Amino acid sequence: MMKRKIVNFKVNGESREVLVESNALLVNVLREELGLTGTKYSCGTGQCGSCTVLVNGKPALSCLMLAVAVDGADIVTIEGLAKPDGSLDPVQEAFLDHSAIQCGFCTPGMVIMGRDLLNKNSNPSESEIQEHIKGTLCRCTGYTSIVRAIKSCGK
Amino acid sequence: MITVNTRILKAEFEYFTPNTIQEALHLLDQYGSDANVIAGGTDLLVQMKNEVISPSHLINIMKISEMSFIKAEEGWLRIGAATKWHEVVEFCAKDRKYTALYEASCSLGKVQVRNMGTIGGNLCTASPAADSAPALLVFNSQVKLTSAQGERIINLEDFFKGVNLTGMAPNELMTEIQIPSIHNGMGSAFMKITRVGADISKISCAVALERQGDICASCKIAMGAVASVPMRIDQANRIVIGKKVDASLVEEMGKKVSEEINPITDIRSTAEYRRKTAAILLKDVFWKAWHRAGEDR
Repeated sequence: MMKRKIVNFKVNGESREVLVESNALLVNVLREELGLTGTKYSCGTGQCGSCTVLVNGKPALSCLMLAVAVDGADIVTIEGLAKPDGSLDPVQEAFLDHSAIQCGFCTPGMVIMGRDLLNKNSNPSESEIQEHIKGTLCRCTGYTSIVRAIKSCGK
Repeated sequence: MITVNTRILKAEFEYFTPNTIQEALHLLDQYGSDANVIAGGTDLLVQMKNEVISPSHLINIMKISEMSFIKAEEGWLRIGAATKWHEVVEFCAKDRKYTALYEASCSLGKVQVRNMGTIGGNLCTASPAADSAPALLVFNSQVKLTSAQGERIINLEDFFKGVNLTGMAPNELMTEIQIPSIHNGMGSAFMKITRVGADISKISCAVALERQGDICASCKIAMGAVASVPMRIDQANRIVIGKKVDASLVEEMGKKVSEEINPITDIRSTAEYRRKTAAILLKDVFWKAWHRAGEDR
């Protein structure tokens, strides 16, 4: 049995302390220990982007991150994008308005990538959006409406 | 086919987070071949999930602040091995002289991977398809390998020994990448071919050259995914060196490149495809670098 370690980090603005084994992956700690099941596990090998969360403000793959390695980090998951009163982020609203969701499995990762791009570039072009979400796969192939939804948030 | 559960990491290991290079070297000295250094983890954790490697000790170097820096000084661009790719991209976007490195870093993986992965990690994984390798090779880059016993600097060319194999001893840590400064009249470019955007390269190519009017004063070529290591091409490039460059000369160089490489057939491409593509890719990359070298700075 491996030695467990205490890890402290902020998740969606709240300080959390979890006791994890060294080989625990961030995606599983978020989903199973903290009940934040919005973050999805899909390929587990860094190809699909479904498990994307913001780590210190930057999108990263929680399936390829040891929980012990994010000690001290500030993490935002899809649950943290909505405001405390429950109102959605404009990117989430846009996904609803543009029906940019089919099965919904890639959506948390897509929304986070859209938010990240808009934080850096308030009016991204279609090709800039495509480039930014190219590592986040949608197998219902709803890319057209996803790109349209993100684009509609530009100003 | 073995099915691996990639949801979890089955491997068990002791985990360390040194804060200084000294601490890391001490751990490496102690655990050597039973230990693996982990940086961004984007390659290593995949290998561990797939049970390709199973280290009993894992040394995370991402808390070592002295390993993350980019400094241009005294004829060198020095990059700490634990510098993340997004930082390399941001630096190169400002200082566009290292164009091939800029293009390689922008194309590497995807946004999420560039936020996690490091320049040293890309090199130490020693994938023949590592995107940074051809760009760093054409700039004559060196790497600094440090151990508790001292440090040595070797040419990147001599660092790669085979697929996932390097010339690094088990107790050594790559601490720095050193790239000679770029001077006026030099031009470089990098391109790669992938099936879809964020894929691993089928084949990649970098060129760095010096131009004096229509004469090519020097030309360095390196390619990825065409041999067991990222490969310096050192025959074909001689065709243009010291010559007045024209289309037929570059055509000839392309042909020579496809003979010089040693590609295999794998899940991404056939050897034949790689040979044919190499000639065309080389021409495209060469002309890009050539035109850039001709621009006034």
